[in-house]
Amino acid sequence: MDAEATRSFLPPLVFLLPIIGSLLTVPLQHISERARNIGLGVVCAAVAVLAVVMAAGVANGMVYETMLLQLTPDIWMYFRVDAMGALFGVTVAVLWLLALVYSWGYMDGGHRPARYFAFFMLCLGWTMGVAYAGNLLTFLIFYELFSILTYPLVVHEETPEAMAAGTKYIIYILIGGTLVLLAIVLTFFAAGDQTLTAGGILTAEAGRTNLLAIFWCFIIGFGVKAALVPLHGWVPDAHPAAPAPFSAVLSGVMVAAGSFGMMRVIFQVFGVDLLRELEVAHYLTWVSGFTVLFAAVLAVNQDDIKRRLAYSTISQMAYVVLGLSLLGVESTIGALVHITNHAFMKGALFLCAGLFIKRLGVRRVSQLDGAAKRMPVTAAAFALAALAMIGTPPLSGFVSKWYLGLGMLETENPWLLAVLLGGALMAGVYLLPIVYRMYFREAVLTAEDKIAEEGREAPASMLVPLVITTALTVFLGLGAALPGMPADLARMAAEAFFH
Amino acid sequence: MITWPPLLALLIAVPMTSAVLTPAIARGSARRAFWWALAVMSVASIIAAMLIIRVSHEGPFSYVVGGWVAPYGIELRFDEFSAAIAIICLLGTLAIIFSKEYVTHAIAEPRIPYYYTLLLLNLMAMIGFTVTGDLFNLFVFMEILSLSGYALVAVSGERIAEMAAFKYLVMGAVSSLLVLFSIGLLYALTGSLNMADVAERLDGAAAAPLAVAFACITLGFMVKSAVFPLHVWLPDAHAIAPSPISAVLSGLVVKVGIIGMLRVYQIAYSSGAVDMTGLNTVLMWLGAISIVMGAFFAVFQDDIKLMLAYSTISNIGYIVMGLGLASTYGVIGASVHVFNHALIKATLFLGAGAIIHQTGKRTLSDLAGVGRAMPFTVAAISIGAISIVGIPPTAGFLCKWYIALGAMQAGRPFFAFALVFGALFIFIYYIRMVNAFYFQKPKDPSILEVHEAPATMLGPTLLLAALCLVMGVFGRLPLSFIEPAVNRLLAPLGGG
Repeated sequence: MDAEATRSFLPPLVFLLPIIGSLLTVPLQHISERARNIGLGVVCAAVAVLAVVMAAGVANGMVYETMLLQLTPDIWMYFRVDAMGALFGVTVAVLWLLALVYSWGYMDGGHRPARYFAFFMLCLGWTMGVAYAGNLLTFLIFYELFSILTYPLVVHEETPEAMAAGTKYIIYILIGGTLVLLAIVLTFFAAGDQTLTAGGILTAEAGRTNLLAIFWCFIIGFGVKAALVPLHGWVPDAHPAAPAPFSAVLSGVMVAAGSFGMMRVIFQVFGVDLLRELEVAHYLTWVSGFTVLFAAVLAVNQDDIKRRLAYSTISQMAYVVLGLSLLGVESTIGALVHITNHAFMKGALFLCAGLFIKRLGVRRVSQLDGAAKRMPVTAAAFALAALAMIGTPPLSGFVSKWYLGLGMLETENPWLLAVLLGGALMAGVYLLPIVYRMYFREAVLTAEDKIAEEGREAPASMLVPLVITTALTVFLGLGAALPGMPADLARMAAEAFFH
Repeated sequence: MITWPPLLALLIAVPMTSAVLTPAIARGSARRAFWWALAVMSVASIIAAMLIIRVSHEGPFSYVVGGWVAPYGIELRFDEFSAAIAIICLLGTLAIIFSKEYVTHAIAEPRIPYYYTLLLLNLMAMIGFTVTGDLFNLFVFMEILSLSGYALVAVSGERIAEMAAFKYLVMGAVSSLLVLFSIGLLYALTGSLNMADVAERLDGAAAAPLAVAFACITLGFMVKSAVFPLHVWLPDAHAIAPSPISAVLSGLVVKVGIIGMLRVYQIAYSSGAVDMTGLNTVLMWLGAISIVMGAFFAVFQDDIKLMLAYSTISNIGYIVMGLGLASTYGVIGASVHVFNHALIKATLFLGAGAIIHQTGKRTLSDLAGVGRAMPFTVAAISIGAISIVGIPPTAGFLCKWYIALGAMQAGRPFFAFALVFGALFIFIYYIRMVNAFYFQKPKDPSILEVHEAPATMLGPTLLLAALCLVMGVFGRLPLSFIEPAVNRLLAPLGGG
């Protein structure tokens, strides 16, 4: 509640609108699919516009806040949009809107569409709440429930594999959530309820043992969601099982919510100075560095496209944690920007994977031979997003890795450049063969591939969101230095942390 | 200064007389019995609401029956803890509404008025138990409560109903004996039965008999509350009883032991003559073990009501742990959970009751896919499930949060750990349940043709589910309401 904060009704609106949308799904579905699509599209677009408006305001030095209601005599449900939250909020809202539009085509003729769309909207609201939560208890409220609301989407297909993946998902996530709850209880007991701002809540007075307990509970708890090895087990199963548009947001922003939580903990619960004093951040560097390489190596061997992409998510999200753990300005900017960039890159890749499933009936890399001829636009989008993921300049993946690299040098960890480049190299090893197969191999069709042969490029309704997502990937790279781009907000956030 | 009518006396007198009159007024008609019972509970609810408003304005107050002051006469005392009558009246009313359609299938029409009589007596005894200021009176109400409870379990006509009721009766009798024995001891030591008076006179009493008295009364109440390993009577009794009765038994009747314990604490802490530390440590551990063991047994159940019954043991574990911690946060959390757990568990039992009533099936494997046929009921159950596990922002969360903080405050972080991980364990079987209802293929396709329950069953279930959410979001109200009482209770311990 600093002086420059502006009271505003916008932050709660951003999570209330999707809830209303979610409640309207069933009635709208009864009218017609078209009514449902338009209704939900309007709600989702409104959320995206609000998120962008707030981000623009934050970039101009505003801080929005709302005390919504008093949960207990000591704690308010409190929203506060700072630079970091605003950036994550925009990423979430825009990717969600694209995935929603894509879902119209993807879920067409699918089973139980109303349930899918209702939970899809509900998750949007809850994820926005995670982005804008202004204190730990508010954060917890959104963080715990959004993990659970995701479950119906993970098991949506109701196949035995999806059910098994769902069980694995929920057990991992709940254990993580429980540790986060425990950490928040410990923090509240040590320091009371305080607004999340730069500089941290905890002080050295809490005692080293307590602080370490809090730190590891938080890190392990969020590590499950951020998919740090060895807590990553749910990711490779949940992604292939879920419907493609949901895989895109699952990978793009839900996994990132774990990294986002870690960021809140590192910079706003502990604060840079206290963490330096505790000397624990370097363990996190090792774990995340190992994750980058280990997951990338595992990705190479996956034949299921979505599974390979899921391992890629584990590897890429570890970059974010790596960037945070270095406790340097540039590396923090890199981490924040990478969350946004990765969301659109991985979103585009998953949307492509969904089209391969939907139009060609193909789930495996080895079946993709010659796909570029049948689906030129999709293949091109995939190739671009893959190049961005590898970190080819001037695409968006390059920008975040550039900042991360600068941060590694700034904090005098040049050996980490090997991890950074190794991860990028491995990304080439697991993504480029797919591109190669699509463009340079002839399709070998057997009798049972008859349907696959007839597969054509996807309809415009699904191509448009894919093309926009890919275009954003390119734009976030080319225009990275323009004012108002993610790097600006990230720099604002990072510089506040290091004052 | 407002002068208040003697509402406290009416609160007990009205339902008690009306309960006994039910068969005479109904004259064998189920419909008349229902409306009569509903009217009685409405009157009781209005009186309860006025009393709660009064206590929130003025603090605790008493009514001296017949003008005989303590230690000679009977005193009715209303403090913040007595506000538990709010939930008794609410749940009682909803259980009666739910019973309208439900019991017509379970019980022959001429006997239905007796069902309502028993239910009203049960609720009335609970109200009396909550507001009495006299130890012997406490025992009397507890006995009325237990006896009507045994009968209500037996009434369902299920295969093992008599067995379950008998098991309940044996354990109940043991617990009543223990309580009566301690009350006798306290009377012998102090010469008084009035709680406040006993507390004042305890100072010079001999230590050994005093310790025995407090240990026995605690043990007796813990049997009533079904703390592990004293829980053996609970699962069958709660699973076999008709669903509205299960909701009342699981939501309210087990809390009698807890409210009793709060009264015992009021005596012990304010007198300062008894050292409760040892007993509290035992309660903390029993609480922690109950949480885990309740969850452990529940995981292996296929019968949905049996599963819910075991989950009650876990939740009583929360409350007992919170009381044992004897820290402000812990006791506030425990007291509010008495209220919130009643809401949540009633949602679940009424929802389960509606499903059983509509489908005639009660095992998870038979009920797979029922979510499509009865979307509203299953949605209510899902909200209850999320709530009972303590996912924010539902009613269950605040208590978990408070009791975990209470453990930290008492300097026992291990119990905070046990609590949050116990809750995780509980979630596993609720996931199984929600999964089966929503996402599994029906074993028998005929289940998809089942209709949603009638309004008298669906209405109360949905209302309770909504309250589970409302009490989470507006959790401040009960928390700040109970706070002065807890501070008063713990003040003699020195801060807290």
